[in-house]
Order: sequence, then C-alpha cells, then structure tokens
Amino acid sequence: MANQNGETNLAVLTAGWIKQNPTFVQVLGMCPVLAVSTSAENALGMGLATLGVLAISNLFISFVRNIIPNEIRIPVYISIIAAFVTMVNLLMHGYTYSLWVSLGIYIPLIVVNCVPLGRAEAFASKHGPWKSFLDGLGMGIGFLGAIMLIGITRELFDAGTIFGYHIWSSAYNVFVVALPPGAFLVIGLYMGLFRYIGKMRSQKKVQGDESK
Amino acid sequence: MANHVKIALILTTVMVVIGVILAGVYLMTYTPIVKADLNAKFEAIKFVLTDQTTGQLLVNQDEIPKTIDQLNAKIWKSNSSGVLYSNPKLPGYVLSPAYLFKGKDGSNIYVLTGYGIGFGGRVVTVASFIQQSDGKFFENAIDVIDFANETPGLGAKINDPDVRSRFFDIPNSGFKDGIRVNKDADLFPLPSNYKSEIPTYKKEGIVVTSDVMTGATITPRSVANTLNAMYEFLEKEVK
Repeated sequence: MANQNGETNLAVLTAGWIKQNPTFVQVLGMCPVLAVSTSAENALGMGLATLGVLAISNLFISFVRNIIPNEIRIPVYISIIAAFVTMVNLLMHGYTYSLWVSLGIYIPLIVVNCVPLGRAEAFASKHGPWKSFLDGLGMGIGFLGAIMLIGITRELFDAGTIFGYHIWSSAYNVFVVALPPGAFLVIGLYMGLFRYIGKMRSQKKVQGDESK
Repeated sequence: MANHVKIALILTTVMVVIGVILAGVYLMTYTPIVKADLNAKFEAIKFVLTDQTTGQLLVNQDEIPKTIDQLNAKIWKSNSSGVLYSNPKLPGYVLSPAYLFKGKDGSNIYVLTGYGIGFGGRVVTVASFIQQSDGKFFENAIDVIDFANETPGLGAKINDPDVRSRFFDIPNSGFKDGIRVNKDADLFPLPSNYKSEIPTYKKEGIVVTSDVMTGATITPRSVANTLNAMYEFLEKEVK
C-alpha cells in the first residue's frame, strides 16, 4: 500500500538494502563497522544488535513524534535509543556472554551511531509507526548485510576461516585486513565494486531504452 | 514560562517511563547476568589451575569449584571493601576474595583476581601463583575475564590464546623488579631470534607482546601491572 508520499511498504523496507545502504551508500555508522568487523561472529552480533535497536527505536519514536515539542525532539530521540541500547547490552551480557565481551564498548556506542539517530530524524519523526518500523528493519538489514560482508571477508583473508570454520590454508592469509587500515581497504573495495555494478546496470538500462 | 514547564514535564515523563522500563529489564536480566559472570569465573579458575604445558590439572578434579558454595570454601583472604591490595603507582589492584587451592603435589596454589587500567577502563585478570618448595612464587597462567571496554581488534585481543600465553610460566626472578611488556623494557624492535628467547626474557621480567598485539601497548601493560600488584600482595601476606 502506498502512503501520501507514494512509498509502498515494500519500497520502504528494501530501500536500505542496496539503494540507500547505510554503510556503502550513506557511509553512516562507520566507527563500529571498521572496529568490529574483524570476524564474522562479531559482525553478526553487532549487526543484529543495531538492527534490533533501529527497528524498535524507530517504532517508538514514531509513536511519540506528535506529542514531543520540536525543541526537545533530539534529546528525547537519543534517550529512547539509549534505553533500547541499554536493554540490548543487558540482554547480551546475560545470554551471550562471550559475544558481549568480544563486542565490548561498541554495544553501548550504538547510542551515538549515526544510523539510528539519522533514521529517527529523517524518517520516524515524519512517518507513522508501521512505516517507521519497516524503515528501521530495512536499514538494519542493510547494515547487517554490509557489516557481515566485511566481517566475512576480513576473517577469511586474516585467519582463513568463516565463523571459525576452516576454509583455506594460512598461506593465503593477508594479515593487513585484520588491522584498521585493512578495514578501510575492504570497505573501499566493496564500495568501488558496488558503484561499478550500479554504473553497468544503468548503462545497460539506457542502452535497452535506446534500442526500444 | 508555561512552555518551559510543559517541556520540563514532557522530558520528566519520558525519562520516568524509560527509567521504569529499564528497571524492569534490569530485574529480568539480573539473574542471568550473575550466572554468566559466575560461569566465566569458574572457567577462568579451572583454566589457571591447569598446567599449560601438559594440559593436566594442577589440583584434583574434585577441587575445581562448580557451585558458589564450593568456591566460597576455597576463600583464603577477603575483606568487605572489595580490594585486598592496591598499588596506585602501577596502578594495580587485587580484588577480594583470594582463593587457595592444594596442588596434587601438596603445594599451595593461590588464585587471585585483580585489575589494571587499560585503554577503556578496568582490565580484570585471574591468575594462579604456585608456591614452590623454596617458598618462592611461580606464576602459572592467567585468564583475562573482563576487557569489555578495550578496542576490538586491538586491546581486546588480550585474551587471545597466543597473547595470553605470553603471560604464562613467569618465574620468581621475573618479578624481582616487576614484569614489563617488551616496549617498556626497551626491547623494541625485537631481534630476529626473539621467539626462542621468550623464556629467557620471562626470567628477566620481560613479556613480549608487541608481535602478537600490534598497536596496543596499554592493555598488556595493565595486565603486567595487575600481576605485579598480585605478586606484591603475596609477598606481603604469605611471607
């Protein structure tokens, strides 16, 4: 169903996957992406935590958007996001202890990740709860996909494993991908690859239109 | 004025609602968190009571605590302040309680918990010290149980097996002037044959970490400070 802006639920949900991917297109929330994507397991944990916070905080922010005065909207949004991040932190401490230790300070730092606050300000404060929830979910899925892709690549080229499962010999390992410069390299290469694919698809579309 | 009051009331209401929800989640997760922390402690104690060369337990299997009561039975020293010893100059702290186990060979094995200050705050370490027949202490093994505020990929590598093992098997002579990481001991860059010299360095109190923890000196230094504080505490309390 389309809303007043002509956006269908499916379009809202899928916008963050590729077209407006928070990592590769919007280049938001890069701090945890760079720091935590050293392994696929860490990336999965951080991606799921961010996805949960994004979807639920977007939903609640949309619910309260009409009763919060404009002057105090940012502190209220931050407080709501911080509350959900605290919940995620407590739940991970209790139920996924080793992952909680591995992710360390980056779980509390989701509060200052640009993606949740950015979506709260850009989308949830202007749309209804269902659409806002879908937007948070879609952006979260896009963030999860991006950080997983980077995490899998870095773990594979650093340790020769994916989720700890041996894939190839250590002879193929490239140590630099585990270091901070390696994170920039991997992200840069993926950004270049996606832009190239996007460009090729646009060119094909133009050629197809011309031939018609 | 009325607008300011309205804003203050709205903010207060939002904060109270958030506070109540968080209190509920805290109560709900309190028991699992305590259990998770306790399990981590049990695992750490078992780990440091293992000979890292042979993989054999240094104590009989039934000595390994599995419940809080069994753990409490092993308390050697404790106090209500939570800190048994502190050396603010390092800084290094020994936390209460300290445990005492009897080794298979009859030796006393002290298991201590302590912390130093890492890049993001406390780095909590559990370590075992074996009192040898001559009364001197041999540091057997460590397990770093809380490094949640260290940077992933850098300082958070402190409990990786290849990093942690650099703090194993440090004899009494190493603690004479306190142990230091190799960068603090002016052993940097490392000589080409450094790997074969690691046991010798340990006898001199030098722990080589710069090759396995690139770009992170503060975190291993905090562990070294913790072990130094633990050694000072044992020297003071046992002898």
